[in-house]
Amino acid sequence: MNPRLARWLTRLYPPAWRERYGEEFETLLETGPSDLRTLANSVRSAVHEHIFPTQGGNMDQSPNSFSAMIKRPSAFLPVAMSLIALTMVLTTLTIGLAHTGGVIVRDPDEGATAHLFQLLMTVQMPIALFFAVKWLRRAPAPSLGVLALQAGAWLAACAPIHFLHL
Amino acid sequence: MRSTRDVGEEEAGAGMGHYSDPPLLVLASLAGGPKHGHAMIEDIAGMCGTRLGPGTLYGAIARLEQLGWIEPLPAEERRRPYRITSAGLRVLGAKLATLQQFAQAGLGRLETS
Repeated sequence: MNPRLARWLTRLYPPAWRERYGEEFETLLETGPSDLRTLANSVRSAVHEHIFPTQGGNMDQSPNSFSAMIKRPSAFLPVAMSLIALTMVLTTLTIGLAHTGGVIVRDPDEGATAHLFQLLMTVQMPIALFFAVKWLRRAPAPSLGVLALQAGAWLAACAPIHFLHL
Repeated sequence: MRSTRDVGEEEAGAGMGHYSDPPLLVLASLAGGPKHGHAMIEDIAGMCGTRLGPGTLYGAIARLEQLGWIEPLPAEERRRPYRITSAGLRVLGAKLATLQQFAQAGLGRLETS
């Protein structure tokens, strides 16, 4: 394989991984073919290493533990969506308060932020439902923990709307 | 009508793929002596027909090293050989025994059917 391509592929891996395996991995790539299968395999493994790091990661972790469970897209996406929605509300509120001198102005015309908020809070529901259907039966305790976290994040995002009557 | 090629492929298990459990394959390869990445790929390909991709191989190496089942040796130029540890040998022995038991049970059922 072209040394520049091998270096580029190695750079896709996290810094901690590269520090430990980078040089030998790059050498292995250089001595091997540069076919599509090798490229796809290297890219896929780099992505996997970013999601489930072996350097600094806990290898004894059970795949059904809470910390392993929360890394699944259907587990963390709803939480992330709620946190994004909450950040949006708080940012809009802070900017609004700064402009009005501390007075909350309720605009009857829902703007783009409100629509995006509604979208984020709605779209996460089928994702959370998918997680519950798939994992509750297989690993009840950690799944309940994840669902509680999703519910908590959802309620936290809705709290400013409810309490400040936005 | 089935051609002899079809029969040959069926007998070889075409469509079922090769055996692929990268950490176990790496352990089995290193049981034959220390090797660096490229030598492991070639050895595993010769052993069972599975050619591990470089990412898959290093994913397995990283995990096995963290588990203490393999350990790195001093680098030779830019290549680093690895060797299996005593803990790795125990794990490999146990895994292969389970596979052997499974294979015997499967073959026994084939004989009786």
